[in-house]
Amino acid sequence: MTCAEFEAVLPEMLEGEVKQEQQEHLRFCSSCFDLLSDLSLIAREARSLQSDVEPGPRVWSSVEIALRQEGLIHDPQPQMQKARRPLLWRPAWALSFGAVFLVAIAGLLYERGTGSPEVAGLGIIKPAASNATVPDDYSPDDIEVLQDVGSRTPAMLADYKANLRKVNSYVRDAEQWVRSNPSDEVAQQSLINAYEQRAVVYQMALDRSQP
Amino acid sequence: MYHLHRRRVYSLCLRMTANTAAAEDLTQEAFLQLFRKISTFRGEAAFSTWLHRMAVNVVLMQLRKKGLPIVPLEDTIETEEETPRKELGGVDSVLSGSIDRLQLNRAIEALPPGYKTIFVLHDVEGYEHNEIAEIVGCSIGNSKSQLHKARLKMRELLKTSRAAKASKP
Repeated sequence: MTCAEFEAVLPEMLEGEVKQEQQEHLRFCSSCFDLLSDLSLIAREARSLQSDVEPGPRVWSSVEIALRQEGLIHDPQPQMQKARRPLLWRPAWALSFGAVFLVAIAGLLYERGTGSPEVAGLGIIKPAASNATVPDDYSPDDIEVLQDVGSRTPAMLADYKANLRKVNSYVRDAEQWVRSNPSDEVAQQSLINAYEQRAVVYQMALDRSQP
Repeated sequence: MYHLHRRRVYSLCLRMTANTAAAEDLTQEAFLQLFRKISTFRGEAAFSTWLHRMAVNVVLMQLRKKGLPIVPLEDTIETEEETPRKELGGVDSVLSGSIDRLQLNRAIEALPPGYKTIFVLHDVEGYEHNEIAEIVGCSIGNSKSQLHKARLKMRELLKTSRAAKASKP
């Protein structure tokens, strides 16, 4: 067997198939022996590089936000308790009509009470009756954005609340990470990414709620 | 689905880009494409193979956008530049039983993208040739051939690196 013939079958040998004549060649050819040893070593050592790394939390946050914006995933709708639901509201169209009616009434009352929506938008907006109360884990800026969304496009409010909740959770995790590892550049970048994600959600909320 | 597959996809992207931020962006893009296209999965391959194919395509597309040369996986025409030299003999012909991990990582980073893809998928991540053929869209024979060339190139890079290190005062 020549060296050229040996090299032609080297890939199979590295997969574990070594024939008699190949072993004979290795016994007398140090160059081919070294070549086989080196390539085996490279393959073996490369496997030790398989790492158990994980992507940062912002990856899933970003994926989830994007999928929600595209309408590919939704929050499960809260179930109304049957005992509290009047018979008249059972058909879905009646429920939707009722909600729109309440929002319209609340909007009229709000406009009469505070003047034009533009003036009201400069200060703290009193939430309309149809808007759900905003839980405590939102910042004052979050509350302002959500109230704006709630007053202009109430149908989008639930989605934006969910998005902000998740983004805020991501920001808190990233802030904790930086506090624990202040000189870690990856942690710092993760925090910057978290703030950017929140800014994107704000921007989208404001864009969508524009008349 | 994300929790099951995120590590392997991210690891692949990290190996190909050697940059955590870029790897996270590509991981994100791979999963977004997965969720957008999941209705098109017809079960003709294993789900993980389908997902990793998407991840590899995302990575290669990114490399193309950056203008990096990609060795076509089906290219069997060897040029002087592409063919790893099969050096025989010489003072430093053997890698001597152990390889510095840092040098190994650097050698992988220096591989041309086509070789790097096959090498990372097979020798680092442990995919079989039939899986690699599905993922990158080549034949099993081509996968084996490219892997062999990649390993020869790795040997060349490691020996060059060692020689450079030895010659420093």
